[in-house]
Amino acid sequence: MESENYELKRSINRFLALYSMAKDPVRVLVTGAAGQIGYALVPMIARGVMLGPDQPVILHMLDIEPAAEALTGVRMELVDAAFPLLRDVVVTTDVTVACKGVNIAVMVGGFPRKEGMERKDVMSKNVSIYKAQASALEKQAAPDCKVLVVANPANTNALILKEFAPSIPEKNITCLTRLDHNRALGQLSERLKIHVSEVKNVIIWGNHSSTQYPDVNHATVTPANGEEKPVRSVVADDNWLNTEFITTVQQRGAAIIKARKLSSALSAASAACDHIRDWVVGTPKGTWVSMGVYSDGSYGIQPGVIYSYPVTCDKGQWSIVQGLKIDDFSRQKMDATAKELVDEKTLAYSCLN
Amino acid sequence: MAKEPVRVLVTGAAGQIGYALVPMIARGIMLGADQPVILHMLDIPFAAEALNGVKMELVDAAFPLLKGVVATTDVVEACTGVNVAVMVGGFPRKEGMERKDVMSKNVSIYKSQASALEQHAAPNCKVLVVANPANTNALILKEFAPSIPAKNITCLTRLDHNRALGQISERLSVQVSDVKNVIIWGNHSSTQYPDVNHATVGDKPVRELVKDDEWLNGEFITTVQQRGAAIIKARKLSSALSAASAACDHIRDWVLGTPEGTWVSMGVYSDGSYNVPAGVIYSFPVTCKNGEWTIVQGLAIDEFSRKKLDLTGAELTEEKELAYSCLS
Repeated sequence: MESENYELKRSINRFLALYSMAKDPVRVLVTGAAGQIGYALVPMIARGVMLGPDQPVILHMLDIEPAAEALTGVRMELVDAAFPLLRDVVVTTDVTVACKGVNIAVMVGGFPRKEGMERKDVMSKNVSIYKAQASALEKQAAPDCKVLVVANPANTNALILKEFAPSIPEKNITCLTRLDHNRALGQLSERLKIHVSEVKNVIIWGNHSSTQYPDVNHATVTPANGEEKPVRSVVADDNWLNTEFITTVQQRGAAIIKARKLSSALSAASAACDHIRDWVVGTPKGTWVSMGVYSDGSYGIQPGVIYSYPVTCDKGQWSIVQGLKIDDFSRQKMDATAKELVDEKTLAYSCLN
Repeated sequence: MAKEPVRVLVTGAAGQIGYALVPMIARGIMLGADQPVILHMLDIPFAAEALNGVKMELVDAAFPLLKGVVATTDVVEACTGVNVAVMVGGFPRKEGMERKDVMSKNVSIYKSQASALEQHAAPNCKVLVVANPANTNALILKEFAPSIPAKNITCLTRLDHNRALGQISERLSVQVSDVKNVIIWGNHSSTQYPDVNHATVGDKPVRELVKDDEWLNGEFITTVQQRGAAIIKARKLSSALSAASAACDHIRDWVLGTPEGTWVSMGVYSDGSYNVPAGVIYSFPVTCKNGEWTIVQGLAIDEFSRKKLDLTGAELTEEKELAYSCLS
């Protein structure tokens, strides 16, 4: 009798919930979820860092069979954390189940380079993975699913995914260069001894690799109660900005590995949250961010690769910031990273045959 | 209108729990989305390079709320001016080590860190000890930092509390946020007592909804008690994500207050409430308001619970004796 009353009460509560202010949960997929980045990322998602403190989420976590037990361990910890926003957790090694109904997909899983592996081998492994996952996403994900590829080679993995999921709008497939963007902001804030929130509008052009071009030509510093000034004039050291600053940002991943003996998980996970959040919620007025997106030929970059551009976001859509002046130095760098992407595309396609 | 930054110390910051915890703190999960923070991270010289790597990643994450990072192997520098101290660093049990050896190592660590905290932390610094044996490490810290108010020194049982909520929510297929007022009594060890006698879902007692006293008095308890081992078995590593999250919950509720009608579990300096031993750090049900915790009094304790409260209390008394013997 008691349990019948309780069931009735639950039904009433559910009915009321439909008319309450609580939002419907968003389904977020994380692939490679049993790994380092996944472990840093899932609590951030569950706490509302990715989509906002009032947005309930359902996590879908996918990994390969050898990681199934570890994946279960992560699920157990998510239950143990009693997150108010986390409505459910789906853990699976089945990509079809993982992709079902997802609104956001963060593709962290990929084949890492191992010692002795040739570039072509790494590319080949990843091409297979992203081709298969493209297929599953296309068939199973919710309409308008937003995709962020993190696993390297991020740009080319995203391109493969796009090519093999033709019914996913190409604008919905992106790769992560927000980590590099945030790293560039961080380097400037350290150089100028200011808070990182006072710097904005750096640009990461091109490939999430050592050919990326961290560009400060349009970046500005706005101290509290102060005037907005160009970074170049405030730093007053073009040599540093054109050399060491660039290489530091380009090679930061390696520097982290050297210090930690593990690659960046914390900062990569955080950047993934920033990327999705700004995409979904919108960028602040007067501020742009960097995203790897399907090139439409803007800034003279060959269309048909995933290239990192400065973008603003509004109503769930990104737009490339147009009309920025590109000097000779920048032109060369932008072209060099574009060339690398074209080479990667060629290599990837050769793996498909 | 921006608030002054709060200085938060994390010891053992180069380890697993530290790595999960620092981005949570930097995102405002511990102290609120509008509270700037300065992180102090301490670890041993052996971990200095790794610690620096964590600092680099914190810079790379461009957190708006993070106003500064102090990464150091010097405990004095680490403790200077801190308002919140989360003691994650300790000596882990290694294979072949006796309980006394582990206790002895940790007693030394917490004695010296007590001293540094007492001398250098900000007034009214709130301390949360996570490293095991958490309750006894906290007790040693309290004993050797006499000018830190005893009420400011706590240990983490919020992880066990959250685990208990999670188990009930799974059993009843309800949202975990609908379950409240479980209690973790005693030691953060396998003698802890996860008590649902006052827990509810909505306004219904958990015992009535679960309708399975055998499970609640048996498997539910052992599952929560042994959950740490279950996580290690699955992950091959101990719980970092959930421990870090619980540490944030513990501090946040302490500083910002518990919601009306809800209590949480914290390991606090026992005043002998509920006839448990005084003078140990014992986990009680508490509410928090204006930055202070208060033990929830007057809860009925049945015979079954009484035995369990006493058992874990006896273990804490024994640990205290062991710890003191290490000091001689």
